[in-house]
Amino acid sequence: MPRSRRSFLKQSVATVAAASVAGCAPDGDGESGAASDGGTRGAAPGTKAIRLPAHTLRAVGETVLPAELGDDGRERAVAAFERWSDGLEPVAELAHPYLVPETRYSGPDPRPGWAAQLQGLEKECRARFGSELGEIDVAGRRKLLAGPVGQAGTGLGSPSNAGHVAVALMAHFFRSPTATDLCYGRVIAKQQCRGLDGALGEPVHVAGSEGGAP
Amino acid sequence: MSRVIESDVCIIGAGITAAMVAERLAERTGASITIIEAGQRTASLAERTNTRARMLAYGENPYPNDHIPDQTGTGNMYRQMVVGGSAMHWGGAIPRYSPEDFRIRSLYGVGFDWPISFDDIEPYYQEAEERIGAAGEQGPEDCDPRSKPYPMPPLPLSYNLARMREWTDSAGIPFWTQPWARNTEPYRGRNVCQRCDTCAVCPTGAKYTPDFAFDQLLAQGRIDLVTRTLVRRLALEPGTDRIAAAEAVNRDAPAEPIEFRAGTFVLAGGHAWSSHLLLLSGNSRFPDGLANRTGNVGRYMTGHWYVSGFIDLPMRLYPGIFANNSLLTHRFASPGPLDRYVRHDIRLWESDVGRAPRLRNGDGSLLWGDEIMADWRERTDSGATARIRSYYDVLPDRDSRLTLDGSNTNALGDPMPRIDYRPAQTSLDLEGHTHKTIFGRFEHLARAAGGSMMSTRTSRLWEHPGGGCRMGDDPATSVVDRWGRTHDHENLFVVGAPTIVSSGCANGTLTFCALSLMAAEEMEKGLNG
Ligand SMILES: Cc1cc2nc3c(=O)[nH]c(=O)nc-3n(C[C@H](O)[C@H](O)[C@H](O)COP(=O)(O)OP(=O)(O)OC[C@H]3O[C@@H](n4cnc5c(N)ncnc54)[C@H](O)[C@@H]3O)c2cc1C
Ligand code: SF4
Repeated sequence: MPRSRRSFLKQSVATVAAASVAGCAPDGDGESGAASDGGTRGAAPGTKAIRLPAHTLRAVGETVLPAELGDDGRERAVAAFERWSDGLEPVAELAHPYLVPETRYSGPDPRPGWAAQLQGLEKECRARFGSELGEIDVAGRRKLLAGPVGQAGTGLGSPSNAGHVAVALMAHFFRSPTATDLCYGRVIAKQQCRGLDGALGEPVHVAGSEGGAP
Repeated sequence: MSRVIESDVCIIGAGITAAMVAERLAERTGASITIIEAGQRTASLAERTNTRARMLAYGENPYPNDHIPDQTGTGNMYRQMVVGGSAMHWGGAIPRYSPEDFRIRSLYGVGFDWPISFDDIEPYYQEAEERIGAAGEQGPEDCDPRSKPYPMPPLPLSYNLARMREWTDSAGIPFWTQPWARNTEPYRGRNVCQRCDTCAVCPTGAKYTPDFAFDQLLAQGRIDLVTRTLVRRLALEPGTDRIAAAEAVNRDAPAEPIEFRAGTFVLAGGHAWSSHLLLLSGNSRFPDGLANRTGNVGRYMTGHWYVSGFIDLPMRLYPGIFANNSLLTHRFASPGPLDRYVRHDIRLWESDVGRAPRLRNGDGSLLWGDEIMADWRERTDSGATARIRSYYDVLPDRDSRLTLDGSNTNALGDPMPRIDYRPAQTSLDLEGHTHKTIFGRFEHLARAAGGSMMSTRTSRLWEHPGGGCRMGDDPATSVVDRWGRTHDHENLFVVGAPTIVSSGCANGTLTFCALSLMAAEEMEKGLNG
């Protein structure tokens, strides 16, 4: 049965049917997908919260996230990214590579750089357009972002490895279960506890997406 | 002066093979059992929900404190030293080896025969599957022989795998569902799989991990589990070849040695640390290490290699429905007579490789929001990707070897292991033929779907490694007998991975468990007699 597009976007994918099964939802996880933001709130243990300038981040979100998400959807994606960023722990021990007797760690904290990039964007915007990033049109914002985003490669890898905050935001969203469902127009709910029963059936349509893109 | 801890059975290591031995001995004997584990406990089941979330979000290790920083070797080996061993992290794929694996010299004139046959080990495969909780589908009997059904029905095929199986059927190659150590029914107090697809860390307990077995045995008062305690040496009874004690240190108090005395010692340290401990334990009677009278400890280190690729399929699939289930065939591991030796499995998974969202399109133009989505949709609308991989067996050379590395010591000054794997010349000679044959089969499969190979790769990572204490009837060429008992020390058993002769072309852990249960049966005779 199709789910309404509105409720799909509102719920994201965190609250799929099996979420009541022990072990499926991390502590304190609320609306957004555990798989996309880690289910964390506040700073990771032992780290100092480094908040990204919220206003500018939202202006970037409007520039690099799909418009089809709508204002609500983009706000949720940016808020999930902020929670993810708050929970990020630099130089954390990573999952061991298979059959390699070494311990590997994540890189240094990208957030001070990201915060500076957002501040720089505002300065640049004021210098070139005489107003804040959120006040110029999306085409103008893309002009400002094209340089730094253009330095990234082709793939959208782990957001914590992104050199630029706009790429990190895109990577965080496009790797999420929500984005996958939007792409396919189907409720796949990847990496959510879904039970075994529904595996064989073709995933149901996200309402409004029958016959192609929503 | 050492503190002394005595028991009937002393098991060194608390991985999955130790769990098999401890569980069986606890059920079938009245023996007191002590298990010594160098590592400590890691995330409990309750904690795995959050560590999983952080692994997904940040790639963090979901098992804190699962290794010992200064206890690390060189070469292809696992990092984990923890209660539960590497099988805390494992994926839980548990195929059996094929009957041919045990007789490749007789059947094909290459490598070595094992001292046991598939029929000898088959009941222990079943027992291991029952202890672990195996969910599997019976494949064609000629390439998937078993005497009893799996304890649980298979994981259901996902929509993606069902479409892929229609395709492989059309290619005339039988595929069936990979057997897994994951519950499809409530089993031994553990939950049913919820298809959350992060089996490296299972938040529901549906995947078997050895800590469940240890917790149960502890609750029953059937074992003592001594953690953070590293065995540094095995010592002989004066004037005999019997093992008297495992000399250990608690890592928090290294200046206060502990001596574990027992009637039976079981070395369950996994493929690297078992040979390592024997080599470390040299004395005047065994200057080259215990169980090493004939110089075979640390030799014939083995594993399998793989070739893999991605296939472009002209069908719409939905990656993410169940990435941790796969299709399997052992048709080519049981190939019948061969002109030239090549044996391998094939596995197939859903994949999003080549079809993930990207920042630039094929022309290299930068994409934004809606454009990324449109480009992604275009690439997933009518095409899909399958991942394909084959393990093939590589025969080890005698000089495929684990040695003590004096240039790399732990904090106690003990030399760490160094593994220099080396394939036998036969395998090197066969490598080109092996790749050509397998890639030919990949191509055949791709064409049957109207698709094409997107990419291929070869790997020389020695997967599911074992060896170092290989089994055999002849002490001149082996370290342990068919029961895992060392030829040189009647009360010392080595179990699991180190004792294998070759590693077939299937994930090895079920075989390591079955071998451990065979050994436990032999131990029982001494303990009950
Ligand atoms: C990511 C990953 C995925 C895997 N997936 C699969 C899979 O799908 N299928 C499969 O078949 N296999 C898989 N494996 C391999 C599988 O985990 C191992 O084959 C298996 O766990 C080995 O068990 P073991 O008991 O032989 O040794 P281990 O798990 O290595 O346990 C040995 C224990 O002994 C302890 N020890 C060693 N020496 C001493 C000492 N001197 N004193 C005290 N303690 C000591 C160690 O600390 C360790 O905890 C996977 C492994 C990994 C890492
Ligand atoms: S898919 Fe099943 S076995 Fe794997 S982690 Fe999820 S619940 Fe556990």
